[in-house]
Amino acid sequence: MSAVARPAPHAAPSTASRMLRVFFRRKVVAVGAVLVLLTALVGIFAPMLSADPGRMDVASRLHRPGAAYWFGTDDLGRDVFARVVYGARLSLLVGVAVVALALIGGLTAGLAAGYFRRLDNAIMRVMDGLMAFPAIILAIALMASLGPSITNVIVAIGVVYTPRVARVVRGSVLVIRETAYVEAARALGVTNLWIILRHVLPNCLSPVIVQGSFVFAAAVLTEAALSFLGVGVPPYVPSWGNILSDGRLYLQQAPWLVLYPGAAIMITILGLNLLGDGVRDLLDPRLRGAASEPKST
Amino acid sequence: MALVVATVAFVLIHLAPGDPAAIIAGPDAPAEDVARIRQSLGLEQPLHVQLVRWYGRLVQGDLGQSIFLRKPVVDAILDRAEPTLLLTVSAIVIAALLGVPAGVLSARFHNTATDQTFMVLALLGISVPNFLLGLIFVLVFGVWLGLFPVAGYSPLEDGWLLTLRSLVLPAFSLGLVQSALIARIARSSMLDVMREQYITTGRAKGLGERLVVYKHALRNALVPTVTVIGISFAVLISGAVVVETVFNIPGLGRLVVSAVSRRDYPVVQGVVLVIAGVYMLVNLLVDLSYLIIDPRVKYQ
Repeated sequence: MSAVARPAPHAAPSTASRMLRVFFRRKVVAVGAVLVLLTALVGIFAPMLSADPGRMDVASRLHRPGAAYWFGTDDLGRDVFARVVYGARLSLLVGVAVVALALIGGLTAGLAAGYFRRLDNAIMRVMDGLMAFPAIILAIALMASLGPSITNVIVAIGVVYTPRVARVVRGSVLVIRETAYVEAARALGVTNLWIILRHVLPNCLSPVIVQGSFVFAAAVLTEAALSFLGVGVPPYVPSWGNILSDGRLYLQQAPWLVLYPGAAIMITILGLNLLGDGVRDLLDPRLRGAASEPKST
Repeated sequence: MALVVATVAFVLIHLAPGDPAAIIAGPDAPAEDVARIRQSLGLEQPLHVQLVRWYGRLVQGDLGQSIFLRKPVVDAILDRAEPTLLLTVSAIVIAALLGVPAGVLSARFHNTATDQTFMVLALLGISVPNFLLGLIFVLVFGVWLGLFPVAGYSPLEDGWLLTLRSLVLPAFSLGLVQSALIARIARSSMLDVMREQYITTGRAKGLGERLVVYKHALRNALVPTVTVIGISFAVLISGAVVVETVFNIPGLGRLVVSAVSRRDYPVVQGVVLVIAGVYMLVNLLVDLSYLIIDPRVKYQ
């Protein structure tokens, strides 16, 4: 038996739990996490929390918020609470799917452009070309071609944010590919694919995770904006943007049609921004020291 | 870059699954109408020929013919450019006038109640979509208080005062959100500069705090701030597209949204290309402005 006793597994906190503790030490980040969790839970348990968002009660159209309808009803007598709750589900779906799409596309393009010099110019010129279009304008143009549907909204917003992820990934890869351990792997005859997957990819994930948190917020906002303009998800789908678009026409008679979905968007985006700031501070080595101490803002 | 942007704009119209002419004409359109649209858009040509012709037309400033408006796309864009341009410029003025002082004051009074108040407001600001802020402004200042028109736009030919009045709410809806972002960047770049040694030297040799902050620190903190103002201008052009819908302003935003619903692809393509062009031009001007702000910056 060894003379030096091995520490019990639970004695030293793991890196992950230490990072989580640092992460949540800042109160604003914890507030952000609670707000995002709240939206996620509302979205996931939407069928248990509310009635059918498409059910019309024409006799109760533009009903004020009260005991019968917590958030009132719209011009077709649909329950605004149910629509807001199901809107959370759609925002969550769009956010997650867009982040997945943008990360897959951005990682693939960024890794290829950064690692293989021959591909760099071609890939990054296309990415720069896409980035030359303002996000919402490119999304509108893509929706004009693809037509209104949830899938197309996800594809359009995913395409818009892919170049932003690709650029970040490429920047990291350009540094990592010159490091000694990548050089050593090459000298040992390791294949490019294995070097990329085993050595390059894990080391460029930090900025990608930060970018992903902001892409999530941007995707929720862009979906709401597209639906508000009438070029996003079809009008019958409960989305915060759709509810606001309907509410615009009844602003004087039924301000609740704007106030409740508006508050839902604000709470979600605020939560995502706070959480995104926290993730950035935690993963950015220059800010990590600051993140370990409580911040004033 | 311009070539890549032109190519992307060309590809956008060809992304539609199936025949674009049939989609534009609608499901019940007779075959002759579909053929006419196909011919007017040059869709019967091979793709590479269409692309070369597209470049050729762009060089001559020809963005094609609107299918619905029955006039050149360039004319349709010029007719609608005034409100969008004025809205964007007013919004950037508001954003810079509110954002830069808020960021500078936050940095000067770092970790005080002033700093925290400005930063909480900025955080709330970046979390509110501009179209939502627009709707709230319409409700409060238009419907409840009756101070400003709830919708519409008065062109400059009706008098600039009326134009200004019609732009107050939309410009603030756009500008306030962006001022929050500018304030955050201005604050962080000021804080970086305030830690520099020449600031300590300035204080050590007895310069007043105002002189140190507003003369020595501010100018050096302006490069990232101007960058974000430039980016904001580009963001505001696209933000104007959404806010125009809230306030029913007949600008480029309304034009492109109506064109999408009418499947008027040449107009969508034209507006998208023009906005991307302005976006690139603004970014170029921002790069060039560094030469004036920071004498250390030199381009080869």
